[in-house]
Formats: sequence, structure tokens, C-alpha cells
Amino acid sequence: MANNPVKLPVAPMIIYSKNADINLGDIMFNKNQKTKQEKTNSNKEKNEKTSNEVLKKSLEYNINLFSEIFANDETLIIRRFQNKVLKSAKCCVLYFDGMVKTEIINENIIKPILSNDLSMNILEENLLEELQYKVIVSNDVKTEINISRMNDAAIYGDTIFLLEGYEKALIINTKGWQTRTITEPESEKIIRGPREGFTESIMMNISMVRRKIKSTDLKFKFKDIGVRTRTKTCICYIEGIVAPNILTELERRLDEINIDGILDSGYIQELIRDAPFSPFETVGYSEKPDVIASKILEGRIAIIVDGSPVALTVPFILAEASQSSEDYYNNYIFGSFNRLLRTISAYFAISIPAVYLSIVTYHQEMLPTPLLLSISASRQGVPLPTALSMFIMLLIFDALREAGTRMPTAIGQAVNIVGTLVLGQAAVEAKLVSAPVVIVTALTGILTLMNISLIGASILSRFFLLLAASVLGIYGFFLGSFLIILHVLSIRSFGVPYLLNISKVKNHNGQDTWIRAPWWSMTLRPKIIGAKNLVRQAAPKNRRR
Amino acid sequence: MKRVKIVLSALLIIFNSVFATGCWNYREVDQFTIVAGVAVDKGEHSKYRITVEVAQITGGREAKTNSKLISMEGDTIFDAVRNEISLAGKRLYWSHAKVLIISKEIASEGIANIIDWYNRDAETRGDVHILVSMEETARQIFEASSQIEDIKSFELDNIIKNQVSLSKTPIIEIWDFSNLLSRKNLGAITPTVSIYKKNIVDCPLVYGTAIFKNGKMIGTIDGEETKSLLFVLNQIKGGVLINDEKQDEMLVTLEIFKSKTKIVPVVNGDNVEINITIKTITGIDEFNGNGNCLDEELIRRLEQKLEIALKNRIIKLVKKIQSDYEVDIFGFGAKIHEDMPKEWSKLEDSWEEEFKDLKINVNTKFNIKNSATLSKTLNIGE
Repeated sequence: MANNPVKLPVAPMIIYSKNADINLGDIMFNKNQKTKQEKTNSNKEKNEKTSNEVLKKSLEYNINLFSEIFANDETLIIRRFQNKVLKSAKCCVLYFDGMVKTEIINENIIKPILSNDLSMNILEENLLEELQYKVIVSNDVKTEINISRMNDAAIYGDTIFLLEGYEKALIINTKGWQTRTITEPESEKIIRGPREGFTESIMMNISMVRRKIKSTDLKFKFKDIGVRTRTKTCICYIEGIVAPNILTELERRLDEINIDGILDSGYIQELIRDAPFSPFETVGYSEKPDVIASKILEGRIAIIVDGSPVALTVPFILAEASQSSEDYYNNYIFGSFNRLLRTISAYFAISIPAVYLSIVTYHQEMLPTPLLLSISASRQGVPLPTALSMFIMLLIFDALREAGTRMPTAIGQAVNIVGTLVLGQAAVEAKLVSAPVVIVTALTGILTLMNISLIGASILSRFFLLLAASVLGIYGFFLGSFLIILHVLSIRSFGVPYLLNISKVKNHNGQDTWIRAPWWSMTLRPKIIGAKNLVRQAAPKNRRR
Repeated sequence: MKRVKIVLSALLIIFNSVFATGCWNYREVDQFTIVAGVAVDKGEHSKYRITVEVAQITGGREAKTNSKLISMEGDTIFDAVRNEISLAGKRLYWSHAKVLIISKEIASEGIANIIDWYNRDAETRGDVHILVSMEETARQIFEASSQIEDIKSFELDNIIKNQVSLSKTPIIEIWDFSNLLSRKNLGAITPTVSIYKKNIVDCPLVYGTAIFKNGKMIGTIDGEETKSLLFVLNQIKGGVLINDEKQDEMLVTLEIFKSKTKIVPVVNGDNVEINITIKTITGIDEFNGNGNCLDEELIRRLEQKLEIALKNRIIKLVKKIQSDYEVDIFGFGAKIHEDMPKEWSKLEDSWEEEFKDLKINVNTKFNIKNSATLSKTLNIGE
């Protein structure tokens, strides 16, 4: 993966300063100064190269200009051609190999100019415009005089059309590269509901959202982010529902991004988020257009990034982490049951190991006698302390999980077998860990995977609580829980409280948090997020038929 | 400033509560010996001999629990308990102990110090059942065989807990007992345990009640008398009553569903009298003889007979306690204290004497609610 350019100059600096025996303050100071300088330098360099140049009347000069700009880039194709009748129609197309649909260039640009008799019905004085209007067959042709914009277009798959005697060029849309087809996202499988997922192509993704919400209020705003990657990023929202201050705040944060490359929406997610040091995500994401559409309909703003099949939504509240799109498509009672299961399991996933550890090693008085006896029986002859074995087993589980995500499918089975045998059987039989620890680990693992979008936060808080419980028992567990709760309470996502709707059930606050209320009763959008236009639907009068 | 105050007070609470967590040592369950029950005897060399029944756990695939007895001597109870370390090495873990058995000898000499240690120590729990052994030593109870559980203490615990549907021994936990001991003018009771030798194997039998006066055991009453005692104490939750008058044509066994006792002290002239009203709801569960259980006449006759029988039993028991033991185990004194404090101030100092001559009036009311699933008697051969 690409390195962060800001960090690049840091490494040699530290080595240098170590030798020179400079104190830490100097290093920090120097580092900041150097990176700032570097940033301005690179910008200046880029500007010099493109903005000072202009097109001239000579075709050859212009072609040379582009050859110089793209020197050493051998994918640039330069094709000169001339109309057989009208000699003044000396043309040239420039494009990048692999980025274009060759048929469009051949059939719609070169062929009409080459084979037609251009002396007929064509005004020679204004040849470029005449060609644009009457000859070139394309749905998207623009006149352009800015060289840097021409470069951007060519890089993104358009074709630059140059004509002898003109200081401007035509930019013809010839984009055509291979994209992945629409498939069901692997990370968000469902049984009922739309199965299509986003792809890496931004326009395809936008079209999928557009198809869900056919409203003139649905707005798409583009931004190019990344100094070098110039990644196309689209902000998508519904005017009239979205909170304007959240929108301006989002645009401000996006404009502030100054990074060399955006390779996935994850970069943007991290660069615009609130609470940057927290393991709790404050920006939502999904691979499914129906999920993104539903969030947009509630007043959230979606950010679709070119090259990433994952779209982002802001603001994000904790309640969204346990919402699944299927909850809304199934019967609401079943949906609420699943939702409740997920929310409760999120709490258990972080607390079960800590509670087990503190009761078994600090507060044996709280165990029923038969349970104490059977736990004691399972601990006979086990050398590792419960706390240590709990840490080790949870780490092994996470290692297995990580290996499982990363490894090729072909060797998946081998890892599974080894994992189950090592974890479940051999460890207990060899008396390295006690059986209840294995059970607790397995249960914790399953519960953690139930809320896949909370996985990072829950693994970290689980270890934090386990550590607290191993030092202070059940008191440590409660102390740790309070600290986590206080931390979560302090988070805001774009000004919206992170725990919005979790503690209150009054009015419509809790309708979509612990349960999924029936659609006929969800007449309001979530507060604050959709505050500008709260009413989702007029309360139906005849719902009880 | 306000913020600083909030932070400081939060820190104060957090750090103070560290010291308020009680015992919180990190200890693994396999590092201590789980005490299931404890027996206190007179020692041969020292004052006390403590026998603990500990759970002996074998781990592995076929985990097994057995019991093992460890005896140690010491001049005080705690001395003896800690002397165990030089015998077995591991610390004893008391929180899951179920029974405390005290030998007859120790009980009649006084058990205040045992109760004091058990209540005072941080590891022992107040919900242990206290028993008096009717055998020579208390250790013998643990040496007998058990019927169902591997560990005798757990079996004794079950026996006592399930007395709610037998009512032949009182259910007394140690905090109950120490409450009773600490009250002036009040006798204390515990269940008694002996070894039942008429079975194929000798096993412990919990039956009857030991009566304590001023922390010393002064006598016992048997299981049927205990049932009458529990009626007075309003502690009947279940059990069996038999209409077993010899001249009667039918033998009926009833199950007690619910019973409520009200004790009301009344002033009659110069004397205070105690009115006991007992309302009992029962059902016929075994019927030997001829008759229809739906016959109201029969039911009423039966109810009357039972009322008289219970009344006589209670009067007999109270008389026995008054004349033989002279200790108020019924809590009449406490009731007078609650209801008529003025009268009590006159009686308080001479209550022991007054109790001996206290007049009681018993009023019983029986209600036979049903006859279980059969209405008629089973007529064989018809």
C-alpha cells in the first residue's frame, strides 16, 4: 500500500538528529517545518509544470507540449490524421492506452473525419466548432483551453482532440475500462432484500443510488481528493431533509484533506471522523445501495468514493452499528427480536470474559456450589492462571479470525481443523487451559462476530475490561465499564450525540434502536439528523384493518 | 473550578471504592480446599477438635467429587482451623460450607464462642445450617454413609432445605440462631441429627429439635413435637397430618397447603394470656376406609376432629416446655413486648417465672380444600 507522504521525510530526520544528539523538542519542530516545506514544494512543482503552458496555433507544438508533459509515459498514444479533401483539417487525438474504448475513437472520431468529404457544408473559418457540431459522433464533447484540465481528462480516459490552427482542444468522452460486475457483497450477506452491492466504479454506484431514490431533490456533488490520485468523490444527499450545517461541516472537512492519495473510502473515513483516537467508528459505511439510500432518506449524507465499493454515511450513531437492512424487510416482530439479540450480544461480547474471570478468581462466593465444584474440577492440574489463559485463548481466537479473513479459500479448511482441534480439544486434554475458558472464548467470539461493524471497538474494550477485571475483580470490571460508557458518551459525530436514541424510548426516540418499530408507526425521522424535516410519513389512520 | 470539583469528587469516589470491595484477592479455584461442612467436638489434647468435610475433586474427563475428612485440634475454634494448614497445606475456603454440626457435649457446655467466630470471620457465611449431633461425637455424622450425594454436608443441606414439605425439624441458619441467642428471655432452637441405624447402611437422620437456653443446650423434642412447635412459630409451609384416632373408622392423611398462626396476648384480670389462632388449609391425600370425600358432613366431621387433635397437641407441647425446660422458645415474651409494652415492663424481669405459669388459649381452624385427584375411596374387587 502507498505510504503516507507526510511521514516519508520523518525517518531520515530522526536518524540524522540522533547522530547529532538533538533533543526531542528539536526533532518535533524540525519535522513539522520540513513537512510543511515539502508540501508547498510539491504543489509549486506541479503548478509550474502545467499552468504556465498554453496551447499555440501550431499542431506540432501542441503535440510536443503533451509529449513533454507525459514524457516517459509510453501508454500515451498520439494519432495524427488528416481529411482527404479538406487539407486544413489536420487533426490529432491523444489518449491513454487501456483507459479508452478504442471503438469510439475509431468509429466516432477518426472515421468520420477521415472518410467524409469535409469541404461540403463546413465553414472553414470555424473548423473546430464545426467538427464538434457536425462530424464527431459523441454524447459528451467539450471545448477546453486549460491544459491541466485537459491532462486530468486524458488521464481519466477521455480523448484530447487537437486541430491545426487552434489554441484550444476538444475533450471527447471515450472512457472505457474494465469494471467488476455488480455482485452481492461478501461482507453484508442477507437472506431477504436487494442483493446488489456497490462496485469500484463511482458512476455505477451513483446510478444504483439514483435508481432507488428518483427525486429531483437528490443531489450529487463531486470533489477530487488526493493531490496525486485526484480521486473522484461524490457527496450525496437529499435537499430539504439534510441538516445544512452538517453538510457544510462535511464539505469543510473534505476540503481540508490534503493527502497524496485516496485508495479507498477508508482513507476519507479516517480523515474526516470525529474522536480520532477512539476505537468506536464515528462514520458509517455500507456496501449496499439500499442501505445507503435508506440513510440518505433519513437525512444523512453519503460519500461515494471512486475505486471503493464501500460508501460512507455521516453522521453515524452507535445504534446504527446493530441495524441490519434485513430488519426492515422482515416482519417487524422478528426484526425486533434479531435486533435485540444483536444489541444485547454487543454488550455480552465485551463483558463475558471479564465477568467470568472476576467471579472465578475473585468472587467465588458468588458461584453456586455445584458450579464452583465443576469449575474447580476443570481447573485441577492446569498450570496457567485463569487470567493468563483467558488472554491467550482470546488472542488465539482473534488470530484464527484474522487468518480466516486473509487466507486463500483453498487452505481455509486446514486452518479450521487445526484451529478447532488446538483450541477446543487438545488444549483442554493437555491441561493447558480449563474447559470453561474455552467455552467462554468460543461464546465471546461468536457474540463479537454478531455485530461485525463493531468488531474493532468490541475487541479492544473486551481486552481493556479483561485487564481491569484481572487486577481488580468485579470492581475493576465495573470501573472499566464506566470508563468506556463515559468515553462513548463524550463522542459526537458531526455534532450528533453518539448514543442518540439509546437511552430514551419516549415519543419516537427508541423506535429504531433496541427494536425495529413497525413501519406504520415510524412516522418521524431520527431527531437531530433529520431535524430539518422530521415527518417521514403522515400517520396512517386505517392501519388496523 | 466547577470542573475541578467534579473531577476531584469523581476520583475520590473511585479510589475510595477500591477499599470498599472487601476481600478481593486473586486466587484460583484449584488453590484452596472447599469446605462443605464442619463438625465441632471436644478435643483429646486441646479444647476443640474441628472436623471439616472437604470436597475432594478429581479433574479430567470423568470429573468426580468425593468427600474427605480432616480433623485438627486447637484451643479456640480459629486456632484449630488455622492449624489445618500444617496438616493439609491448602487454605480452607469457607464460603460454600453448608452445615455446622455441634456435638452434644459442646452444645450443653455453651456454643457462644463458636457462633461468634462463625459470624465474625470474613470468609464464613451466615447462611450455614446449624445442627446438634445426638451421637457421641459430631464427626460420626460425617463418617456415616450418604444416600444420594457424594458429600454428606450437601445431603444434610438438602434434607434441611426440603423440610418445608415435611416440617419435622426447624430450618435454622446460623444468623437466625445468633439472633435468637442474642435476645433476652428467648430460647433458641436448632435441628438435631443422629445416625439412623435401622437401614441397610447407617446414614444421617435429621429429626427433632434441640432447645437452647442462654447459649447452652438443655434438651430435645422429637419430630412430631417439632411440628407442633412450628405451628406455633408460624413456620409451617407444608407437611403431613394424620387423623389417627384409634376408635375412628377411617385413617386419613392430609397434606398441609398453607397455615397461618396468629399470636395475640390479652390481659385477663391481673394476668396476661396468650391467644393462639391457627388457620390451616389442607387436602386429603390418603384415605383409608369407606366414604365419599365429597360428602360435606364427613368433611366437617374430619375437620372438627383435626382441630381438636391439633389443639391438644399444641397445649401438650407448651405444657411440656413450660414444666420441663422453662424457656420461652415460642417468642411469647417478644410478642407481649411488641403488642403491650407497658405490661411487658412489669413482666420482663421475672419472665422466666411468668412463662412457667403462662396461660394459653388455642383456637384452631381447619379447612379441607380438596381430596386430590380422586373423590371416592378405591373399592377393591368391586
